[in-house]
Amino acid sequence: MSLLDRFRRTSNVADPLVTALQHALAPDRVRNDGAERSLASHDASVFEGGVSGPVCFPTSTDEVQRITRIAVEHDRGIVPRGAGTGLAGGAIPLGAPIVVSTGKMNRILEVDIENRVAWVQPGVINLDLSRHLRPRGFHFAPDPSSQQVCTLGGNIANNSGGPHCLAYGVTDAHVLAIEVVLPNGDVVLLGGLDPEPGGYDLRGAFVGSEGTLGIATRIAVRLTKNPPAVRTLLLSFAETRDAAQTVSAIIAAGIVPAALEVMDQRMTVAVENYVAAGYPTDAAAVLLAEVEGLPAGVEIEADRIAEIGRANNATGVRQAASDEERALLWKGRKTAFGAVAQVAPDYYLHDTVVPRAALADMLEKIYEICERHDVIVMNVFHAGDGNLHPLLVFDARVEGTLERVHAAGAEIVRASLDAGGVLSGEHGIGVEKQGYMDELFSDADLDHQNRLRQAFDPTCRANPGKVLPMGHSCADIQALRAVPTGVWG
Amino acid sequence: MDLKLDADELNACVQCGLCMPHCPTFRVTGDETLSPRGRIRLMREVHEHDAPMTAEVVDAFATCVQCRGCEPACPSGVNYGHLIETTRETLTRAGKLTPRWTRLGFFALAHPRLLRAGSSVLAVAGRLRLVPKRFGVPRDLPLRRRRHHTSGTDVYLFTGCVMDAWQRDVHQAGQRVIEAAGFGVTPTGSLSPCCGALQAHAGFTDDARRRATATIAALSEDDRPILVDSAGCGAAMKDYGHLLATPEAEAFSARVFDIQEWLAERIDRLPAVDPLPMCVAVQDPCHLRHVQRVHLATRTVLQPFVRRIIELDDDGLCCGAGGAYSVMQPELAGEIRDRKIRAIDDVDPDVVASANPGCSMHLAAAGVNIEHPMVLIDRALQGTASAGGR
Amino acid sequence: MSSLTSADEALHAFAADVGEADPIAVEGGGSRWQTGGVLHETARLVSAPDGIVDYRPEEMVITVRAGTPVADLCTALAETGQRSALPERGGTVGGAVAVGENRLDLLGRGPVRDSVLQVRYVSAQGDIITGGGPVVKNVSGFNIPKLMVGSLGTLGLIAEVVLRTNPTPPASQWFRAAGVDPVAARNAVLRPSSVLWNGSSTWVLLEGHERDLEHEITALATIGDFAETEGPPAPPPYRWSLPPAEAAALHREVVGDFVAAIGVGIVHADTAQPTREVDPGIAVVAERMKTLFDPTGRLNPGRNPNA
Repeated sequence: MSLLDRFRRTSNVADPLVTALQHALAPDRVRNDGAERSLASHDASVFEGGVSGPVCFPTSTDEVQRITRIAVEHDRGIVPRGAGTGLAGGAIPLGAPIVVSTGKMNRILEVDIENRVAWVQPGVINLDLSRHLRPRGFHFAPDPSSQQVCTLGGNIANNSGGPHCLAYGVTDAHVLAIEVVLPNGDVVLLGGLDPEPGGYDLRGAFVGSEGTLGIATRIAVRLTKNPPAVRTLLLSFAETRDAAQTVSAIIAAGIVPAALEVMDQRMTVAVENYVAAGYPTDAAAVLLAEVEGLPAGVEIEADRIAEIGRANNATGVRQAASDEERALLWKGRKTAFGAVAQVAPDYYLHDTVVPRAALADMLEKIYEICERHDVIVMNVFHAGDGNLHPLLVFDARVEGTLERVHAAGAEIVRASLDAGGVLSGEHGIGVEKQGYMDELFSDADLDHQNRLRQAFDPTCRANPGKVLPMGHSCADIQALRAVPTGVWG
Repeated sequence: MDLKLDADELNACVQCGLCMPHCPTFRVTGDETLSPRGRIRLMREVHEHDAPMTAEVVDAFATCVQCRGCEPACPSGVNYGHLIETTRETLTRAGKLTPRWTRLGFFALAHPRLLRAGSSVLAVAGRLRLVPKRFGVPRDLPLRRRRHHTSGTDVYLFTGCVMDAWQRDVHQAGQRVIEAAGFGVTPTGSLSPCCGALQAHAGFTDDARRRATATIAALSEDDRPILVDSAGCGAAMKDYGHLLATPEAEAFSARVFDIQEWLAERIDRLPAVDPLPMCVAVQDPCHLRHVQRVHLATRTVLQPFVRRIIELDDDGLCCGAGGAYSVMQPELAGEIRDRKIRAIDDVDPDVVASANPGCSMHLAAAGVNIEHPMVLIDRALQGTASAGGR
Repeated sequence: MSSLTSADEALHAFAADVGEADPIAVEGGGSRWQTGGVLHETARLVSAPDGIVDYRPEEMVITVRAGTPVADLCTALAETGQRSALPERGGTVGGAVAVGENRLDLLGRGPVRDSVLQVRYVSAQGDIITGGGPVVKNVSGFNIPKLMVGSLGTLGLIAEVVLRTNPTPPASQWFRAAGVDPVAARNAVLRPSSVLWNGSSTWVLLEGHERDLEHEITALATIGDFAETEGPPAPPPYRWSLPPAEAAALHREVVGDFVAAIGVGIVHADTAQPTREVDPGIAVVAERMKTLFDPTGRLNPGRNPNA
């Protein structure tokens, strides 16, 4: 007991749902305070409109199962929440569902070097796992920029990528088995440690389903051996187009680097201001390229990348001389989203993917669109995958800004689709990109996606109102419940 | 409720969440309410949307250790320290946060004789096992203290309040080290009894301002450097410029140096001696690492005097001491300390070096063999290279 | 908006052929015709369209119709120094995806399920459905392509896929040694493309830059007497799937002759793998999936990947 607890008023909420949850877990692991629920109604996106019901902190599969059964009994939705770093509103609760925080399910259960697998709870932080594996010479390959805080459960929900997924593949390729509490309360193990577990790949369907198919409670992830040699190059360009063309040329040359990342000048300036890693702030764009593997091959590929860069008018080619320098360059790249607040307090982010060959034109198009809508844009992206991240930065307090930002965003998305691209490369659809789904897919396509969803969750209980647009989702069948009175949202 | 927050400072947070793993209370609870992003969200709800100040919200602010580990982790440069200090000050004024009676304790800090008398009582009580363990008060507080002596006027050595009562030997070790480098030292002693850091920490900002004004007045006869061997005091004194917002305070803050920071520039002036035969793990006090950001100097000054320096693999996460935090929030402070102790055990050092009295006492209370870097250097210089701490 | 264009006439013809009423199955190369059960006699057999629709080597993606022989795919890719994850055993691309079996050099090529970026299939209702997208990274909506891989055409009849391709490494060589712990061989090198073991000999496939291979050969030499060899051993008929550690612990006395892919868990043996039990909770989801996608059970009747 802290001294303060003695002064504390206990809130007596007679809500039977809360009582049931508290009984199933422990009183202090079910929160129903308005402010705490407001916290659970937000993630790292700008979406305002979430309303959270009680927030639970289970510690085991068993407790998640109990919460789910209570949700069924009380006919409430249920939404899992990891670190809340999502950028598309996937974890934002709609219609006051029960929010299941995985914050206290953060144990690494087993490291099985023989099978090159680790069993973890969903709340384990991505970087914590790699840090834990480091003494044994392994790591978890997907490395989203938020890896220092995002959780593995969240990575699974979003099928997260990251700079190094260019060579290693996204989360899906690194998840072997998932224990899931289905929306009806059944506990099942999807996938398996063996390579061809047989049956429909329900594991594959679950990864990236944004919490709409159930809650992962135990995850078997593949371990990747740390490469003995790594080379990191920083190429600078006077023209953004040249950076994009260098990327295409590298891939066309048959090189698959571990990572190929581009930042434009505005982004570089903000990042350099935070990390002081020596990013050239006078370059129109910088390309961060990393190759890894055995020493000889790494040498050959690094030289080849430098050569291709110069052939495409790179004004500077620098190789990180030490691990510290390398780490600092990456720290800059990985904190880029956060650094934008130096420019303006809000940002709206798109995540489209275009064929790599379309990158150069696409960038020019983005600048043109944003200029026309009078919106500041900062670009930082996984160039090797063709995965763009135009950040539209603004101050929401200035009237009319949000409208302009949305208009510019919509044009960027349409231009990406016209270029043969898709809506999202790694952030997911959530609530923010829902409205664009029918521009990428036909009614029949979306209907089939909804069938997949219903096979897991016929009643639309898990993370209701997400991914599929209204008119295509089973959420239409079970209308989102109205906000209960007394909810402070 | 108006929390008196600066709108721009509050809006600098884009909710990216990168701060969360660097927050000790979030780390041990997994609860976002107890994270910097969470607390800023609550500030917004209360300050901008007039959300009720419920017990849960107050608790979120009360449980912040104020280690400020989130600040270097923030790419947007959110000044979390100012936000939480202002919030706590407003809540304290409104009688919602720190209980008023604790102000009595802070009053004693600025009155050396009262403090020393109280401390002697505690020392006796401690030996008789009368002090509850959760207060984290060392059982072997000194009953006698050797007097301070002035050896010259090159630098001040700021001796402070609790530390002077409980750890005067550290001041004296630091003084010998500075003297060995060829400088004359004036210990501040009763000239300037308390910097006001603990008061500011607890939300008694007016008291803190009074302490700051008095400290500046007492030490501004000339402009010699003021060396501080307590990271918490050093951080507070470097922040007087912000606290008082006067040119004099700014000028004063510019004269304040952490003792390691100052010595690192002059390390060549210390004689070469046999290093202590021990591996030393450096525990960075938050106010040295996250606030003053001069923690690397500790390594520079220790390097020549010990066999090996070992780094803890926990990103410099707080140990849970946090001024009076370990007394006000013993449960959380204990969990945070457990995490730190695991990090220490992982590297298995002979001794841990910590440049802050709060951290030392908090960790020593859990059985960690811990010393101030100055004590280790002093011991090497004296040639008393015996292993083990107190 | 439909993402189909008028250029996809072959797909529309296939959809029309499939119709929306009678029991139906697609005939590919027939190399895995018995997998997942015996097709009902009532099923009408149709062929999927063939041909490479679009190949962009610089994007490392290829759009190919399901009826295309895997051999043709390989030839086209090889011309530009690329390759795919699909196994070459005389079948079609659609068949390979619908069956979902991986290559024995899965470590080097990656699994089939990760190589299918987009799939177009004809639904039980006769519609052409698109899942996924033609780019290398995509989380737009639910992962239909994953569901199609290994589904044996029971949820939809695959008409066209977009596959991820990879550059063929500059050098490639099989090595063999007797009496070597295969797990040690796997651990001795950084990224072997395949490590096979038959209970007495170990085969290792190394691929990459010439100088990297030299480096890896030196590493292999420290654990055994590895010599260059023509290729992998001929695999026995029955296919097993085991956790990698179990595959590495197999004995001839128990399973007969076998070839195990170390670090992967695919095993070819003389005897069939004991039947694995299906978790009842999973069976419910799988059944519901089948019913939702194919309410009348007309797609590949008699086959069931979940059995």
